[in-house]
Formats: sequence, C-alpha cells, structure tokens
Amino acid sequence: MKIIVCIKQVPERDAQVRIASSGKWIEESDLQYAMNESDAYALEEALQLKEKHGGEVVVLSAGPERAGTTIREALAKGADRAIQVESDTLNQLDALGVAQLLANAAKQESPDLVLTGLQSDDLGYGQTGVIMAEIMGLPHASLILNVEKTDSGITVKRELEEGWFQNIELPLPAVLMIQSGGTKLRYATLMGIKKAKTKELKKLSATELGQPAAPAAALDKITQPQKQKSTQIISGSAKEAAATLVEKLKFEVRVI
Amino acid sequence: MSLLSVTLAEPRSFEIWEKLLLIVLVAASAALFFRRFAPILNRILKSRKDPNFSLAPIGKRIWDFFWEVLCQAKVIRERPLPGLAHAFVFWGFCAFALVTLNHFAVGLGLGFLDPAGIFGRFYSYFAATFAAACAIGIFGLFVRRFFIRPRWLGQKVSYESGFIAALIFILMVTYLAAFAVKDASPAASALWWIHSLSILIFLPIIPHTKHLHLVLSPATIFLSRGGFSKIPPLVGDEDFGLVTGKDLTQITSLQSYSCVECGRCTEHCPANNTGKELNPKEIILGLRGYLNEYGPSSEQNIIGKYNSITADFQCTTCGACEFQCPVGIEHLPIIIGLRRGAVNTGAWEDEHGAKLFLALERGSNALGMSASERDKFIQKQAFPIFDGTQEYCLWLGCMGGYDPKGREIVADFARVMNYLGTSYGVLRKEKCTGDPVRRLGNDLLFQQLAESNLETLAQNKVKKIVTICPHCVRTIQEDWKEFGTPPEIEHHSEFLARYADKLPRPNQDDRVPQIPTLKSGNEQKVSETDRVPQVRGPHDQVSDRGVEISPLRPGNDKIVYHDPCYLGRYRDVYEEPRVVASLAGQVVEAPRSHQRSFCCGAGGGLVFLGEETGDRVSHTRVNELIATGASTIGTACPFCNSMFRDALAEKGDAAPQLLDIAQLTARSLPSADS
Amino acid sequence: MSGVYVVLEDRNGRFGRISFEAIAAANILAAQSGSKPTAIVIGAQTEALAAEAATKNVGKVVRIEHALLSPYTPDGYAAALQQFIAAESPDYIVFPHTYQVRDYAPALAARLGRVLIGDVTQIADGPVFIRSLMQGRLSGSYKSTGGPTLVSVQSGAFRAEDAQSSPAEITTFAPNIEASQIRTKPGEPFRGTAQTVDLGSAPMIVAVGRGIREESNLNLVQDLAASLGAEIAASRPICDNGWLPIERQVGSSGQTVAPKLYVAVGISGAIQHLVGMKGSQCIVAINKDAEAPIFEVADYGIVGDLFEVVPALTEAVKSAKL
Repeated sequence: MKIIVCIKQVPERDAQVRIASSGKWIEESDLQYAMNESDAYALEEALQLKEKHGGEVVVLSAGPERAGTTIREALAKGADRAIQVESDTLNQLDALGVAQLLANAAKQESPDLVLTGLQSDDLGYGQTGVIMAEIMGLPHASLILNVEKTDSGITVKRELEEGWFQNIELPLPAVLMIQSGGTKLRYATLMGIKKAKTKELKKLSATELGQPAAPAAALDKITQPQKQKSTQIISGSAKEAAATLVEKLKFEVRVI
Repeated sequence: MSLLSVTLAEPRSFEIWEKLLLIVLVAASAALFFRRFAPILNRILKSRKDPNFSLAPIGKRIWDFFWEVLCQAKVIRERPLPGLAHAFVFWGFCAFALVTLNHFAVGLGLGFLDPAGIFGRFYSYFAATFAAACAIGIFGLFVRRFFIRPRWLGQKVSYESGFIAALIFILMVTYLAAFAVKDASPAASALWWIHSLSILIFLPIIPHTKHLHLVLSPATIFLSRGGFSKIPPLVGDEDFGLVTGKDLTQITSLQSYSCVECGRCTEHCPANNTGKELNPKEIILGLRGYLNEYGPSSEQNIIGKYNSITADFQCTTCGACEFQCPVGIEHLPIIIGLRRGAVNTGAWEDEHGAKLFLALERGSNALGMSASERDKFIQKQAFPIFDGTQEYCLWLGCMGGYDPKGREIVADFARVMNYLGTSYGVLRKEKCTGDPVRRLGNDLLFQQLAESNLETLAQNKVKKIVTICPHCVRTIQEDWKEFGTPPEIEHHSEFLARYADKLPRPNQDDRVPQIPTLKSGNEQKVSETDRVPQVRGPHDQVSDRGVEISPLRPGNDKIVYHDPCYLGRYRDVYEEPRVVASLAGQVVEAPRSHQRSFCCGAGGGLVFLGEETGDRVSHTRVNELIATGASTIGTACPFCNSMFRDALAEKGDAAPQLLDIAQLTARSLPSADS
Repeated sequence: MSGVYVVLEDRNGRFGRISFEAIAAANILAAQSGSKPTAIVIGAQTEALAAEAATKNVGKVVRIEHALLSPYTPDGYAAALQQFIAAESPDYIVFPHTYQVRDYAPALAARLGRVLIGDVTQIADGPVFIRSLMQGRLSGSYKSTGGPTLVSVQSGAFRAEDAQSSPAEITTFAPNIEASQIRTKPGEPFRGTAQTVDLGSAPMIVAVGRGIREESNLNLVQDLAASLGAEIAASRPICDNGWLPIERQVGSSGQTVAPKLYVAVGISGAIQHLVGMKGSQCIVAINKDAEAPIFEVADYGIVGDLFEVVPALTEAVKSAKL
C-alpha cells in the first residue's frame, strides 16, 4: 500500500506567539516549530499500516524551507521518503489554496491512501484533507481513530460526538483525516534521525503545481483574544455556592 | 628460648628429581593459568577501544591506585569489619610476594632470604605478622560467607570460594608452622611441599573465579573513566550506546571481568532493596556472561539472555553502586549505556517513557505543562527577567517552574536572595535541562534540549546560574559540556551556605514572634502506635494540609536532612545544606546519610515512568527519615521533596513537616519581607 | 433568490442546542438585510424535524429530502446541498460546527470554489467572522471575498433563541442523487467499549482526593458523579489505600484525561495529579484550603467543606436536571 501522509509544521505548543506588525500574521522570527499533533497521529497510523501490510509511506508537506526539520523528523520516525512543496507565501492562501497544492503533488504519486491530521494547531481550519479528497476525486472520512485494511478497501473507525463511534467502509484510494489519540505515538530516535539523512526529500516549487485559487476567505486581522482564563471563586454558603455553580455549568460550560 | 631466636625452618636441600618435579609443577600451573586467562585477556583487548580515553591526569590515577588498591581505603570504609579482614588478606599477599619468590627459589637451591640473616629474619617476622592477620582475616571471611551469609553475596553457596579460602588458610598456616619445626627436618620439607602445592593449585583457579579481581582490579581502578557517572559521548554514526558486543569497550569489558561479586552494589541499590528485578551485580555479571558466550565482536543484542530490559529501566541512577564498588566498576555508564542502546534504536517501548519523550519533543518541560503556566508563575511572583545586568540567572527548572511545591521553594529562595540584596533574574524561556532523558538514554532529545538551552543562555549573556534543583546543576555543569560551554552554576545550598552568617537565626532574632503559651488545640494528634513522638513547637500552626507554616526554633525542632543523590554523590556537597538547615534547627542524621544516602526513587527519569513494582523507594526512605524522630524532613531537591510528599501523604497527621532548606531559611526572615 | 440559510442537524430525530445557536447566528447575518434566515433540514424523512424547525426564529424551512440522505454520508450531503445552492444561490449558509459539518461542508465549499469559515465564535459588522487561532491564544478576523459564504459556528458561542409564535412556511427540495455517487458505507453508531474503565473518553469526571478522609465517605462523591452522569476518578493516595481501583487513578502514574468537565473534590493539586487532568475543558475545584494549588488551574472554585458542598451540589444538579 502506498500511503501519503500530509504533515504541517506549526509553532511549538509552548511557543510565545506574537502578532506581526502588519496585524495580519504572526511574528515568525524567533519561533520554534514542531510537527502538528494530529499529523503525528496520521503518520503513526500510516507507519503501522505499512508495518502490517507492507508498502511505502511518503511524507508530503507544504511550507517554507524550515519545514524541512519537521519532514526529517517524520523520516526519522520511519517514513520512506518525502516531498516538500516549498513556498514562503502559504499564509496568503486559504485552506482551498493549500489543499490544491497538496492535492496536485499527491496526484503525481497515485497513492492508495492519503492521510492528514484532523486539524492544524495553528490555524485550525480542519479542512485540508476533505478538500484534497474533493480535488482528487476520492472518497474521504474524517475524525478517524483506526484503519483496518479489508479485501475490498478499508474499514475505519470514526469518532462521533458524545462518546459514540461508527465504522465506515471505503474503497481505495481514499483520503482520511486522522483524529489525535487513536493510537500511541512512537518517539523519535537517534538511529532514526541518522537513517533519515540518507532518505530522499524531493522539493517541488508551488509554481510547478499550478496557480492556486485566490482566497475565498481572507484573514484580515489578528488580535489578542478578549478574555483570558481565570479562576472564578464562587462564594456563599454551601447551598448558595452549589446553586451558582450549577447555573454556570448549565449556561456557561453547558455540560448539564 | 626467646621469641626472637625462633627462625623459619627451611627444608633440606632437594634432590634432582625433586627439583625437576617442582619445575614441571610450576610450569604446569603457570600454563593452566595462562590457558584460562588468555581468552579473557583476549576478549578484553579485542573489545572496542574507548574513544576519548586519556591517562591524564595521571596524578589522580596514581593517587586512586595508592588509596583504593594499596591502602584498601574504599574496601575498609564501606564495610569496616569485612573490609579490614580483606585488607589483611591483601596486605598478606603483598608481603608474601617476596616470600613466595624466595620459597620457590629455595626449592631450586637458589634461596636468597637467609632466615637467620638480619634482613631475612626481619622479613620473616614481618611476613609472619601478616600471615597471622591474613589467616584470621580469611577465617573471618569464610565464617561470614558460609555461616552469616549476607543476602547480597547471592543465594548460591560458592564452594569454590570455600576451597580458595581453605587454600589461603593453608598457605598462611604452613608458613607459620615452619617457625615451630626444626630446620631441614622432614616436617619442614612437608610444610614446604604443602605450601608450594597450595600456591600451584590456587594459580589456575584464579581466571575463572571471582578471584580474577586479584589480577584485574588494580588495572580497573587505575584505568577508570574518572569522574562520577561519566557518560561517554557517542562516536560516529553507528554508535547508539550498548546494543551489541561490538559496543562494549575495553574498559567496560575489563570492568565486567573485574567484578568480585561482593554485592555491595546490590546491598545499596534502592531498586533491589524494594523488591525490583534490578541487581547491579547481575548487570555486570551479565556482561561477563555475554562476553564469555558471544565475545566482543558479536552482533547479538546484549539485552536478552544476559540482560533484562526491565531491570535496566528500574535504575534511579542514584549511583550508590558505582560509589560503593571496591574494584572500580562504573555501573552508571553501563546501565545508562544499555538504556541508550534501547532508546536510541527505538527498542524500548514504554507508555510513560514515550509520553515523557513526546512531551519534550513537542514542548519545553518534562511535565508536559504549557509554557504559559511558567509565565503566569513568573508574573505572579514578579520575578525580575534576566537582562544581563544581574549577577545570577535563577534557573527555575521543570519542578521550580511548574510543580506547585517546587514553586514554593523557588519563591522562598527568591525571598532570601531579596533579603540578601543579591541581584538575579529569570529567563523568559527555559527548557528542561534534559536530565531525565539523559539518564533514560535518549541522546537525540538530550542533545536538542542542551543545545537549545545553551543558545538561550548565550543570547542572554548568562555568566552565573543558581538553581534549587541538583539534577539541573549536574546536567548543566557536566552533561552539557558535550555540546558547549555551560555557564558557572551552583546549587542554592552552596549559595545559602556562603551567606550563612548574614542569614537570620530565629533564636537570636527578636523579630521572630515568641508565642508564650501552648494552645492545646493546635497540637496534632499522635497515634499511640507511632514509634516516633512528634516534637512540635509551641507556636506551630497547623494548616489544612497538615503542614506547619510557622518558623522553627533551634533546640526545639530536629531536622533530618536527606542527602539528594545528585547533590551528594554526584557533586560532593554534603556540609553546605547542613549548615543552612542548622540555622533553623538541630540537624540529625538518618542511618544512611552523606555518601551512603538512600535514594528517594525519583532519579534516572523514574519519577516519570509510572508505578513501581515492589515497594516504593520513597516509602522506604521516608520511614527511615521518620524513625529519626525529627519533626522536620529537610530536603534540597524538588524531586526528593515531591517523592516524599506523596509518601508522607499516607502517614496522615503523624507525618513530619517537609521543607526545602530554602524554605527553612525563608521562614526565619523578618516578616515584613514576606 | 438569495439570502441567509441555516443548516440544522438531525441528531436521532431531534435538533441539538447547537442547531438553534446556528439559527441565532444566521439571524445576525439576516438582520443586515432585514430578513429572516431559511432553515434547511436534510434527510430521508424530515417532516417532523421541519415542523419543529418551523417554530423557531426562521423565515422559511426547506426540507432537502432523498432516500439516499439517510444515513448521513459526506457524498450525499455535499451533492444535495450543491444542487440546492445552485438552485437558490444563497449569500450565506450557516452551519453548526459539528463533527458532521466538518466532514462534508469543506467538500461542499470546494465544489463551489469556496472555503468554509469554520468554528466562528463571533460575527461582527461587515460581516467579519471571528475565530480562534493558535489554539485560542489569538483571534483571527475573516472577511469573505465573493459568495456564497459558508460559515460554521462554535458550540456555545451564540445564544439559542426562543421559539416564535407563528410557524414558518415549509417547502421541499428534491435533489437528484444516484446510489453510485455515494462511495462510503457507514455502519451503525456504537458506544465505546465500556468493559474496562476508560476515563480517557469520559465526557465528565468527578475526582476525589485525600480530603475525603475515609473510605466510607466516598458515597458522597459517588452520588455527585451519578447525578452528573460522570465517571469517578481519584488522586493517587485514594488508589494507594485501595479505596478505588488503580485504573481510576488520574495523574502522572495513572491516566491522563481531558473531559469536558472535571470536578476535583478534596484534591490539593500536587503536580503528579495536575499533569493528568490539566487538559480538561472545564475544571471545578472544591477544597477547604483556599491556597491549594488546584485553584490555580480551576475555572470555578468553591472554598469550603466538601462534606457540606458536595451533597448540596448533588441536590442542585439533580434539581437542575428535572
């Protein structure tokens, strides 16, 4: 099975993100980057499928040159080779534009399966995989926790809301968006990193892949969110406090 | 007949056939010895060369050889009675070197020590003294091994050891007996022959028993890597730690053959003492077994038949084994080397371990917390940000930055620094030093963390660091050297001890409130069955969490100070924290303290590895600390503190209070400052 | 025809609250042109749902009905809505930001050459759509270029509105869908296997710590958990004592959980515990020690005696659920 895993490099979870002076993007200098979390689960799922059924895992990532470190990390964890769609101006595109680039690059490989993470930790659009499927003319399923290969294709376990799940059968090729937490991630090893040095990393320029559409939704301005999380201490007698808390759980947290 | 007129009886001169027999026997014995010893030597020499090995500083090596080998200092210090018995046997052997040479020379008619001559007479008396001591010593060791049978000598009775003890005993007795028989008598000849045969039988036994240490351990001690828990850098693209026989270096192989199986490492191992699989002695003997079966060029994995991966990852890296070892075996580079092999190749699969690694791959701290939590803490405490103008960079560490209790320690230490007028600042961002991943053998992550931190420190032009965490101190000062030049760093105990005379002593300080009457309501209930009576100060207030929050008073409160492994054995800092603690109360010692301190169970990354098998190390240690009767457990490491806090939780109201030395100090500060 | 449309989601024959919130968001957009949004219900048999939708604050209700629209498939929904949009050319289509919408709306948008502006928390004049970036650390304002504009709104971000008095008009739209267009085959929904305790997937957890003092007091906390429908969990000392089984331990040596609601009862908040539950969406702490570190991470705190607060809370939850 030939599996393409789409991976995005995002600012490290602990990075202190500042707004760029343009107000339209974040300040990229001095940021540290990591592999997007749900993409790491997509990679893990792909590696496990390869270990079970054989084949090849190809990493596909769009990003500026720095994304190479994250691609190397994916190769170190066991991917066989990588394709980088190199572009410094991806942030001027929307989800459709980026998905077009990725889909065009993926098509050249004629994969059996394309895996993406569910959602990026930076922009959080959560659409890339679904749009890629649309552009590639492939069936898709999202929020996938587990993939089983069958004679006719695959059966996937999809997460529904409120603790429910559902199995879905899909023919191959297909596109899946992988949810975090479905499996245990492997850690990167020194041996993997050293092996990754000799693995192929093919670079494609965004222009080679065709002009993506102008954004349908433009990110106009970035601001600090209005409210920061803080602890509300609820006072009063036990009864009063309990009543107030239940109010909050009902109308603010909405869990009752 | 005065005692001095007694001379050593020598046999009559030998017949030719006797001389020939002697030559044949000596040759046979020597040949047998070499036949058995040569393969061992070969395995050691065929092992990989130690990269970066250097004899310098040679002075230190000579001193260690003199002190540990010739003076038997470590052997005696760590186990005085058996140690002394061993030392007499050793010194007896040394004294006998000349005697033995002369002994065989006599057989060939070439004797050079005249028992009646001045030197000969003197030397025979000298040797006799040692012979007597040696005989007593070996008898004592025999009784200990076969009748007292300490657990760490192993379950199996070694008849070989008994046989060798008997040989040594015979050697000494035959020598002494020669003073009581007539010169050139048949009895003298008989003694001579028994003595000779004992030596000739002893020699070929040496290579395949633990008595190989007679030959190897002097070299092992002389050729040690130096330093404590010195983890060698990985060399080249194929080095991932100890994976197969090809990764065993000459020093490692030499050490594995030097083990004398005394079990001191086992005796002091916190994992082994709490019912875990790990036995440091078996790790070393496992390597020996591996080398004997597969040899140093084998590609067979070491972990397997001769080594348990479970045991490898039960080590807290407390270093008690390495510290105790009388023959110079360096356990930590070996155990960590095995972990490196398993982690760097991805062979180690552990849910909690993977979680720790992933937390540090993606984030900044071992606890997997968001860095914004650290920012919030810094803001709340209004810590100054380090800008290059302050004297110290206050390194928070994972525990100081994220752990609620660690934060209290940092905050209290900062108060003390404010009181002393020391300028300091904290870094805006700081990553884990890599201590847990270093000890767990993840070189990739360790390198990334060390390099990233070194860069941050260089950017901020940090010259001096102070921190509350001994693990940070060790890792920054020693382990980071592989990747750059770390700034000077000290532990807060060293800092505080230097200012001891400027710190307030509560009993001499009027600003500490004196509470005149004892309120019985504030007294804690102490259970009858608790063997430790609690000493409570009259002004102690008891908070909801069962922890007192009031100052201590010297003479009234006893503080038992727990030596953290990474401050004591790793850094040789024992007195400074005691000096600081003694400002707040009377410092008492636990049965195992200073160099022999017993681990809290957190080190080596184990605090992150989930539930222990067997007893918890922390519980064992806490019970020992409580048994001293102290009302306060003084710590100097946030990991120890965290482990003990958990262990004390089960003691309920009878638990002594638990405070870092910085907190002990801060409690005595004038209240206006707090 | 143009205007504002809102897609309501069928959840086992009912609407969830989030669908009504989407109506509220659609009304904000519709108000700009002084109109009311049109509600869309999709499925094989939508009559009852459409009738319910008609009682809400909408101008009209459209039933997009076809036998192949049940069960849900992204192919079926995208095809049906694509045809509907081609016929109606709406300006705005508002969706609730649910798992289902996330599964098909981006594909629908792509077919239209558009993108979904997803997980919107606020709609400002313009209209400007505001959503979180960097996992909530920043906010982004989005403007749509061209149309139609597809927007999904975050659960809880808009206040669901009360019903209107006169029911709206209901029409039906019948899309053309071939069975061959539907490439995926969904199975029946099922619950996660509940043989072993799976705190990791529990939506609500009530955790108890040393403050409970005695095993016999555990029933107080169990009652609270039962009233909420929550799983019970504990800090390490409780499991060490054997009061609760080890698989219910949350923390560094136990499980890591991230429920929607985490109620910490009598837990002081040692780091070993915090690392196991810090990812919870809402943390409630009940502890008598106001200085307990648990309050640092809590969203709501009650400083008080748990033996009084917990029974009162159980009662309050029960009556709130009546």
